[in-house]
Amino acid sequence: MKKLTLLTLSLVTLSAPAMAASSAMINVNGLVCDFCARALEKVFGKQEAVSDIDVNLDTKIITVNFKDGQNLSDDALTALITDSGYNVEGISRDE
Amino acid sequence: MTFKTMAAIGLLAGALCNSAYARPVSYPGGWTSMISNNGSNNAVHIHYSPTANYSLGVRSQYNRDKEFWFNGVQVNNLIKRWNEPDSQANFYLKSGAGVTRSDYGDYDGKTAGTFFTGIALDWEDRRFFTSYENTYFDAGDIDDHYAQSARVGVAPYIGDYGDLHTWMMVLLDHEPEAEHPVTVTPLVRMFKDVHLVEAGLSNRGEVTLNWVIRY
Repeated sequence: MKKLTLLTLSLVTLSAPAMAASSAMINVNGLVCDFCARALEKVFGKQEAVSDIDVNLDTKIITVNFKDGQNLSDDALTALITDSGYNVEGISRDE
Repeated sequence: MTFKTMAAIGLLAGALCNSAYARPVSYPGGWTSMISNNGSNNAVHIHYSPTANYSLGVRSQYNRDKEFWFNGVQVNNLIKRWNEPDSQANFYLKSGAGVTRSDYGDYDGKTAGTFFTGIALDWEDRRFFTSYENTYFDAGDIDDHYAQSARVGVAPYIGDYGDLHTWMMVLLDHEPEAEHPVTVTPLVRMFKDVHLVEAGLSNRGEVTLNWVIRY
């Protein structure tokens, strides 16, 4: 019985998300140039909460990956994008 | 005003027009270095963008043919940007001031306070590119001049983010008062990461080689 309990706990631990590192997907208008979009890496790279970003020029979606336990609000993300010269169409979250 | 003076100023104004081959405003806090070389000029332009709406920079430029130096400051303003789902367009105002110095012939040692201003428009999606810009150039008691240029470009393939991107472009320069008013330069633009390089050869056999770094 004790072995079964330990096995169950181990499985639960392994299947649980690792500290829930979250991400945000931002749909951006005007994202057509790789050279220009590099600026967004610089801008988000200065944010303490951000681990890294991924830019998809086909879908015009920027995925912002946050460090464990950290996040940025939709307003903050929108401000960063807008201040960089782009427009935000929508934001979705992957918690 | 002599023809030689007019031609010299035209070349310089044209060079100022030619050298703005990439968007003149970067991201907030971003620096950009632009190095350009064509048939007549070698130039370095470095600017800093406090916001995405304007940049402040310095320019140093040498005209080999006419032995002109221009050194000055430049302010670039993003007047309007149109962000669409699959395209972007921009409208800029570019202005600057400095000193032009000539070491050529009768103009040896002559200097003049200089200012220039002009607009720039561009539109692009991931396949096509087009742009237009002009420059009004005033060298004080020497002369003034007008120049304009336009580009069209097409990307032979659509690269993903991080790939090497390639554009085939044609640059048309028009300097109404220059000895050769129209110059056509087919060129290749390539960029990857923070580096952009352009290389071309004009209809008069002049080589163009540009390099932009953003950091």
